[in-house]
Order: sequence, then C-alpha cells, then structure tokens
Amino acid sequence: MGSVKSQADNRSRERTPGEQDLVFAAAILDKDRKATAEFVGRYSDSIYSYVRHRLIPRSDLVDDLVQDVFLAAWDNLDKFRGASSLQGWLLGIARHKVESYYRASLREPDPIESDRDSDSVPVDDPRLEEALDRERMEARTRRVLESLPETYSLALLWRYWEKRTARDIARDIGKTEKAVERTLARARDEFRRRWNHGE
Amino acid sequence: MANSRDTEDRFFRWLADSESGDSPAASAPTRLKSNIYSTLISRQEESGPLRNLCETTADRGLCVFERLVEISPLAEKTGSFNICRLCHARVLGERVENAPIYWGNCPYAGFQNH
Repeated sequence: MGSVKSQADNRSRERTPGEQDLVFAAAILDKDRKATAEFVGRYSDSIYSYVRHRLIPRSDLVDDLVQDVFLAAWDNLDKFRGASSLQGWLLGIARHKVESYYRASLREPDPIESDRDSDSVPVDDPRLEEALDRERMEARTRRVLESLPETYSLALLWRYWEKRTARDIARDIGKTEKAVERTLARARDEFRRRWNHGE
Repeated sequence: MANSRDTEDRFFRWLADSESGDSPAASAPTRLKSNIYSTLISRQEESGPLRNLCETTADRGLCVFERLVEISPLAEKTGSFNICRLCHARVLGERVENAPIYWGNCPYAGFQNH
C-alpha cells in the first residue's frame, strides 16, 4: 500500500471505509483543523473508555494516557496505511500505551509479595455467578478490581482482559514466569475473597 | 490443585470476555477532548502553518469568527492563523466540563457530551 497522501489523492469512485479513513487521515496530516476536531470528537470516547477500563484503579492516569495516545497518533499518522480502521489503529496505540504502563508498574518490587503459600481454592459456585445479571456483574467486577492493590488488578487485567500469557508478561517485565504465576494466584485469591464478601 | 487453577482461569477468562463488547462506553470528559484538540493543533503549528481556513474541509463548517477571517481581505495571509487561541470558547472548553458554548461549528462546542 502507498502512503496516506498518495492513496487519498484523486478518488472519484465511491470509497470503501478503509479509503475513507485514509482520506480522513490525509486531511489531518494536511493540518485541516476541522478534520482534526472531528478526529478527536469521533475517537476520544472509545479510546477513553478502553483506557479507563484497563487502568483500574488508577483513574488519575487516564486523561494523560489518552492524550498521549492522540499525540502518538499525530506523530505516526503518516504511517497509517489503512490496513485496519483508524479506530482499530488508534486502539492499537492505546493498547501499546496501556501495556507499557503495566510493564513499568509490575517491574517495580511488589510490596504485597510475601512467602505465603499461593495455593488456591475453587471458586464457590460458578453456576451462581452465571445467574447474575450481566450488568450488575460487570459493575461488581469493576468494583472489586478497583478495590484491589494496583499490582493485582493490573496483573489480572493484563492476563485476562488483554489475554497475555504469564510467559509473555514475565518476559516483558523481566521476571520469571513462576513469579508472575505467583502474583496472579494471589491476585485471583484476593479478587475471589473480595468478590465473595461483596466488596 | 491444578483443577482449581483451571477453574479459576476459566472464571476470569469468562469475566473478561463477558465484559468486552457490550459494556457501555464511557464518554471522555469534554475538558479532556478540548485539551487534546488544543494540544494537537499546537503540535501541528510547530511544523508549519495550519491549512488555510478557505481550504478546510467544506462540509465541516466554520464558526462565526473563522468565517470573519475567511471573508476578510487578508484571508490568504491570516487564514492559517489559529484564531481559537484568542477565543474565550477555547478557554472555557479546556477548563469547564460541558462548557456553555453555543457558537455553531465551534470545535469546543462540538466536544460537549449530551
């Protein structure tokens, strides 16, 4: 695929969504302020929502990180080739920023780590959980994640919400897979404890 | 113990999956949108003038101040100027959530959450 500008030029036929995104990106690169305003208006809610959900409980960092996503997008917009939608491309940048934050946070020595046994016990009754109303359950999940120590919530979000393996996480933060598994086991234990006690 | 870990793994995967997709998207604060826009425009200005107002994408419309610049005899020279820098709407938009800005086609008014 060619550059943003060359692909956007002289399109007279009906444009596909991918081509529309390229034309839109070209207008932003041309410093069209109206296109730039539309860029912010169109994508800021979805990026904000994603980042906010992934940074629990650090809501104080969300605004800065969302702004970083848009600045990185501006710095790299000339590399956008339309292989994915502009929204998908932006979400990719957001995911990268979020993972950088996870990486930096989980590299720090964990004050919660202890030598206690990390053996787990089964979840009380999965059928009961399945019966919960979905919306209430999501709110409850958020509440519990927010109440957890940051190390635990980030580890769970990275492992399950971002679907990264313990091995990947270990490699990214320079710890052993076993250490990551241990942190995850404790995070799951603590999550379950708070979940069962209605936090 | 491996079984209980598998069960927990499944439970957390299920929790994560059940959330993605349909969960209601949170709206970004309007102040944040305004600040992002102002910062992006500042960044754009760092590498040269903005696109002239006469050449901006027509269907997105100009606010009343931009229109004044556009029709002035000096439009060719001043059309690249970021007039928002002088506008009270920008100041309000960056500082007040859902600021009471009612200018048509003002970018800061456009960021309001309704």
